[in-house]
Amino acid sequence: MSEITKPAQRQQRSYAAQVLREVFMQWGARLGVFWIGLLVVVAVFAPFLANSHPLLLSEQGEISSPLIQYLTAADVTLLIIFFSVPVLYFFKISFRAKFGIFILITIVAAALCHATISPPRLSIYDQYRDNQQAGVYDWLITAPIPYSAKDYLRDEGDTGLEAPLAADERTHLFGTDENGADVLSRMVHASRIALSIGFVATGIAMIIGTIIGGLMGYFSGIFDMIGMRLVEIFEAIPVLFLLLTFVAFFGRNLYVMMIIIGITSWTGYARYVRAEFLKLRQQEFVQSAIACGLPLHSILFRHILPNGMAPILVAASFGVASAILAEATLSFLGLGLVDDPSWGQMLNQAVQAATFNWWMAAFPGGAIFLTVFAYNLIGEAMRDAIDPHLKKSAN
Amino acid sequence: MSEPLLSVRNLKTSFAMGAQTARVVDGVSFDISCGETFALLGESGCGKSMTSLSIMQLVPQPGEIVSGEIQLEGEDLLRLPPAAIRNVRGNRIAMIFQEPMTSLNPVLTVEQQIGEVLLKHKGIKGSTARKRSVELLTAVGIPAPESRIDEYPHQLSGGMKQRVMIAIALAGEPDLLIADEPTTALDVTIQAQVLQLLRDLQQETGMAILLITHDLGVVAEMADRVAVMYAGHIVEAAGRDEFFANPQHPYSLKLFDSLPEMNKRNHALEVIKGSVPALTQEFKACRFESRCDFAWRPCREQLPDWHEISTRHQVRCHRADDEMLKQWPEQAVVATAELKLKTKQNTTRPILEVKQLKVHFPIHKGLFKRAAGFVYAVDDINLKIDQGKTLALVGESGCGKTTAGKAMLQLERPTAGQVMFEGEDLVYLSGEKLRKRRRDFQIIFQDPFSSMNPRMMISDIIEEGMLAQGVGGNAQQRRVRVDTLLEHVGLSATMRNRYPHEFSGGQRQRVCIARALAVEPKLIVCDEPTSALDVSVQAQILNLLKELQAEFGISYLFITHNISVVAYLADEVAVMYLGRIVERGTVTEVLEHPLHPYTQALLSAVPTIDPETRQEVLRVEGDIPSPIEPPSGCHFHPRCAHVMPKCRATYPEEFSDTERHSAHCFLLLGD
Repeated sequence: MSEITKPAQRQQRSYAAQVLREVFMQWGARLGVFWIGLLVVVAVFAPFLANSHPLLLSEQGEISSPLIQYLTAADVTLLIIFFSVPVLYFFKISFRAKFGIFILITIVAAALCHATISPPRLSIYDQYRDNQQAGVYDWLITAPIPYSAKDYLRDEGDTGLEAPLAADERTHLFGTDENGADVLSRMVHASRIALSIGFVATGIAMIIGTIIGGLMGYFSGIFDMIGMRLVEIFEAIPVLFLLLTFVAFFGRNLYVMMIIIGITSWTGYARYVRAEFLKLRQQEFVQSAIACGLPLHSILFRHILPNGMAPILVAASFGVASAILAEATLSFLGLGLVDDPSWGQMLNQAVQAATFNWWMAAFPGGAIFLTVFAYNLIGEAMRDAIDPHLKKSAN
Repeated sequence: MSEPLLSVRNLKTSFAMGAQTARVVDGVSFDISCGETFALLGESGCGKSMTSLSIMQLVPQPGEIVSGEIQLEGEDLLRLPPAAIRNVRGNRIAMIFQEPMTSLNPVLTVEQQIGEVLLKHKGIKGSTARKRSVELLTAVGIPAPESRIDEYPHQLSGGMKQRVMIAIALAGEPDLLIADEPTTALDVTIQAQVLQLLRDLQQETGMAILLITHDLGVVAEMADRVAVMYAGHIVEAAGRDEFFANPQHPYSLKLFDSLPEMNKRNHALEVIKGSVPALTQEFKACRFESRCDFAWRPCREQLPDWHEISTRHQVRCHRADDEMLKQWPEQAVVATAELKLKTKQNTTRPILEVKQLKVHFPIHKGLFKRAAGFVYAVDDINLKIDQGKTLALVGESGCGKTTAGKAMLQLERPTAGQVMFEGEDLVYLSGEKLRKRRRDFQIIFQDPFSSMNPRMMISDIIEEGMLAQGVGGNAQQRRVRVDTLLEHVGLSATMRNRYPHEFSGGQRQRVCIARALAVEPKLIVCDEPTSALDVSVQAQILNLLKELQAEFGISYLFITHNISVVAYLADEVAVMYLGRIVERGTVTEVLEHPLHPYTQALLSAVPTIDPETRQEVLRVEGDIPSPIEPPSGCHFHPRCAHVMPKCRATYPEEFSDTERHSAHCFLLLGD
């Protein structure tokens, strides 16, 4: 036997690793992941990429960093989370433990940052430009895009709606919006909303859907009956109108939006999970796990759930895309956040002005398109990777 | 006799099916003592698996255990609360399932799966658990257990998976192991290994085994006692030797008689008429009455009691009652129909000649899908089928026999070689010419259900080929021909408007045969046509194939792994191993004087029911290697007991023993 296959040479590869490998074999998925990765980096480092506060400046020999001074608690939390991932990656502990530590870090970092970090309430963006012109600074280093998302360039006079590179003395790569703010800067900061609404809303939907779907599938009978009726009720709710109503009554709140999108879109996941559980419950390895006398939580969470996860993740990647679209739709309708930048809200500005401002439509619209497309590519690739019908007979 | 370990009394399990209830287990009682192997024997649907699931209380919904007692050392399992049941499962009673491919969790490593049971039932974890897991894997004969333990199920072969399953079952050190068809999905050489392993483990640990099987051979090799199940209850219970020496129940007798064997070649096999009665009815008479050759008035009127033949042998049949047997009418028991073997032609003109056939599948890798390697599915085979004869292509799964069959019919285009059909090389035919030629060669597949379109009526299915080939005349004539074909294959013309799902497995295979016959082929490739069927149904299909051959002079290429079918049906045999034919010859030559070590091992691994001919199994170690990187030289060398250095280097030339009998082995070639 040992002559034929040398076990030592064989690589240990779990099912998840196999699926991931197959996903990344496909170019579409690689492009999708590349775009999402880029967005994550942009979102995390948004204050360093686009900010009116200079990164470093020297005032009469005294070096200071207004940018760091003005970092908010959310900025710092994001940075900590972002850097904890590669650090955790190199620890030799199980994936479960890593995930637990990651969640812990997130909570602790968020709490600590909000308790300790309080940037100055008031930011006067004009002062740096005035001081620089007056020659107060010895030298200063600005962010690559030297405009904050809410820097309306009041000091520059009438700056509303400039096409890209229209002004001689300032560079606005993507132009400015009707208030005079830099479009590129606003887009960089808006990527946070696009990403977070997708992840959080889908996360909420997945958790609810998995729990309800799992109960329906494993216990079937009366659970299934009630669960399916619940699914049907929730499927009958028109999400957009519910969102409009909530926004009208409770004001514009990103978190409310996330929760509403989440608690109205779990039905699809519940159906998937239910079908998987119904199928897997009769599989022989589940039967043999029960026959080994293993407790219920082990049957559900070790033997059934991981095996049924793949189609849910596929659905999730499409779900993220649709959540982003839902937020963009709301913002486009003028019901999004008031002052914070969002891609949909910028699209709204493109059509509100008397003339059609192509830069206001093309850049945010392109970003929405690329992001939704990227998630769809990833979802598509995952579906191919887990679909046994498409697989060639493996040897 | 000591207190039994497990005692099942009057167990009844039923399934609610709408308004009716199907009594799948209907009053089953038996005892299993410590350390013995008790076999439940029966065909599919007789309730043997449900009996075992009832013992574990794993009956799937909407089934439910209605009444009865299941006593494990005096404790009634049916009265235990669910938490206590979980402690019995895996700890005192463990179970292994039929399909090793699906009975391990694909996302957990071997260690995690064994470790979980160890933690639950033995309370050990960490490095102690790992050490114990390695011990268990060693006990079930897994080579290099220290590295195998971290592997995932998909990295293990079928035989390995079944061994891991057994290791998991042993982890709780059970008193009773329920083995539900443990070797049905495995190849014979692997089956022999697993059965040996179970016997060895039983000797070491003293556990009892409840073996559930449909295979008389496996029962003969393994069991201490046997119970035959039919339609939800036990009809005969006996010690193994008593049972095989003197089976009493008419059903048991039929099971023996329907087994294909060498010495039944000139007869039709015994078949059981009719089908299993619906289990939704309440039985007031003998369940086997409608299918029994001996059935008489009392059989229709009263339920037979248990009759004792000896202390170790009981049967549920009125004929075992001496009083009643005296009054039994002398009736001409329908004699086995002698086959109408009108051997019309004695010409030995070959209808199909295959020369140096190769089928290599490229494995594509990378961005540009370059062929990074090849699967050598069929590697240089030569075959000849004579007109009106049957050639059996025998081999274990993965040896390339199905691919070879498909390549001959050009369903899979060969990489190289010739396929001469009546003097014409099919390899060079294509398009319309090949399509027209397909009329002469047809194929019957293993699974009759998936080889028919479920949305077509069987008359359309059968007629389709005639339409495509333009045979059978006009619509009216074709219609008549469909009806005659249906009667030819033993179905009735009134069934013509039914859909495939309305038929039983055996009937479906008959429809497939009718479809193949519709275009009047000269050659039919039968790809394991009976392996999904019960023995008694298999007997019907084999009889049918034999009759059709005698009537129409059709040649068969019979692809199978079942040696007893070969012995009954084939004229010539070719044994395949990893893409090559290692031995070929007439059926008597190959089966009685096998030359190649692989053939010898294969034949000895087949479980036999006759205790006198039972021989020491020539054990073949390990699994079939992958055809992607076949071993050098003779492919069989890593598993061969007689391996010599030159076997590793070169592939031996053909050695011809007689005119037709030849093999590839250095042992025969001499120096």
